[in-house]
Amino acid sequence: MKWQNRARWLAIPLTIVILFILLFPFFVMISTMLKSGPDTYATPPIWIPTHIEWSNFVTVWTQYDLASYFLASLIIAMGATVLNTLICVPAAYAIARLRFVGRKVAMYLLLMIEMFSPVIVIISLFKVVARFGMLDSYAALIILDALFTVAFNTWMMNGYFKTIPKDIEEAALIDGCTRVQTMTRIMLPIAVPGLVTVMIYAFIFAWNEFLFALTFISSKAKMPLTIALYNFVGRWTTQWQFLTMAAFLALIPVLVLFYIIEKRLVAGLAGGAVKG
Amino acid sequence: MADATASLRKKLWNPEARLAYVLLAPTAVFLIAFMFYPIVYVFVMSFFRTNKLSDLVRFVGLANFIDRFHDQEFWWAALRSLIWTSSGVAVKFLAGMVIAVLLNVRYRGRKAARMAFIIPWASSVPISALLWQWVYHPEFGLLNHTLQVSGLWANPPGWLGAPLSAFIACMWVDIWIGIPFFALVFLAGMQSIPQELYESAHMDGAGPIRSFFSITIPGIRELIQISTLLSAIWTFNDFNVIYILTRAGPANSTNILITSVYMNAFVDLRFDWAAVQSVVTFLILTIVSVIYARFYFRQENN
Repeated sequence: MKWQNRARWLAIPLTIVILFILLFPFFVMISTMLKSGPDTYATPPIWIPTHIEWSNFVTVWTQYDLASYFLASLIIAMGATVLNTLICVPAAYAIARLRFVGRKVAMYLLLMIEMFSPVIVIISLFKVVARFGMLDSYAALIILDALFTVAFNTWMMNGYFKTIPKDIEEAALIDGCTRVQTMTRIMLPIAVPGLVTVMIYAFIFAWNEFLFALTFISSKAKMPLTIALYNFVGRWTTQWQFLTMAAFLALIPVLVLFYIIEKRLVAGLAGGAVKG
Repeated sequence: MADATASLRKKLWNPEARLAYVLLAPTAVFLIAFMFYPIVYVFVMSFFRTNKLSDLVRFVGLANFIDRFHDQEFWWAALRSLIWTSSGVAVKFLAGMVIAVLLNVRYRGRKAARMAFIIPWASSVPISALLWQWVYHPEFGLLNHTLQVSGLWANPPGWLGAPLSAFIACMWVDIWIGIPFFALVFLAGMQSIPQELYESAHMDGAGPIRSFFSITIPGIRELIQISTLLSAIWTFNDFNVIYILTRAGPANSTNILITSVYMNAFVDLRFDWAAVQSVVTFLILTIVSVIYARFYFRQENN
């Protein structure tokens, strides 16, 4: 079509302009993270550093304990991923495949829970966490981070289980497999793409989580990246060249992981109207 | 009678149902301990006077609610939430639609452009908010510098330093995070519309704008509904951006309902007020999520 050709000449420049606006903070990040101190605080500000300060990369690891925060984030995110998967997968299988009273209610509840902000329960969560003696512990963050993706992940896994033809499972049952065996030996291997999506989603959520870490973690040794970087700014003299470098490094894992699941995430969020 | 109870028992307690309850039990236990109980407790707390350690001191009935509803700041926060959510979603929606249309045009590099458009959504929200804080910096920030040098805005505000500009600056960061979601969902929807529809519309003499409104929009109507609802909930719930950029300041100017829960609790140490705010927010969210759940199930059934 002719207007398709003309559209191209309009679309490309417009795309470039919009991308420039949307990626602006990342351009700033890249511009700042290799600047020297004086370049970072030049007036008027400059886009191109007068020289590239590679040592910033070393400084964030040596002087700012970035490794400790990375480790904390990694422990929390991996713990949350494991716990989340362990509780979601069985629940999703039950909802997708088994007939029981309350199935509809369970589905409805899950969908509604997904909408809740943790902020509305933060004051009572504080009491619960304190009562379990889990203030300032990884355990609190692992459990809570795992929990607040349970609804979405159960939902996603349920979708994957449902796409597997019932015949396969019934054949296995006839051959003498138990229900649990069909789940672990037949359903799970087929649902691997779904499982990967769910695990990555849980990991990303925990890696990016801010509120629980802000509320429940007080010792520096257990601080995940998000809180560490936030506290970093709180101080009177923020060294933004180091902060942007740390931000860049902290972003790499989540960006990579997000691209793996992005298409399935969109399909899962938008429901039946988009195919993954 | 005995038959009826027996059949009911069979319905509730047969081997299949039993397995289902076992499989659901871990989720149920965690949800009850860390979600349902806390919600109930927030309701209870809203009827009590609390001390600075958030212990319940004495039952006061609706006094906390009356207190909050007489406080102007409560209504300001509610109004800000309304403006924040409605205009935020509107801008995200429009920008997402424009980007989806742009990405639906075929040209080389379209895949790369699509990947680039996702970055604000893929990025970690707390880290993005921190980056924006630096971007907005009144003295050393590159935003104002670029606006001035390019001649777009000779005298830009100090963004996070003044009430109105801080509200707009926070809102923009929230919008910026939310645009890619709309763009991707709309794009996926547009690409599932059969090309023949456009071709026959073209034969009938319909221009691109006409076919956008009579083919594209109706074709993605359900997606529009569900993504708008979802985005409204996320926007309403956005705590991180505001807390990180301004901590609800300056002078409460960026305090919306969701942030005021946290500020009441952990800054003012008025846990009873925070409980009231939580209850109000919870009720609003419940209404919206019931609507969302209905849409979702209707779509699944089709």
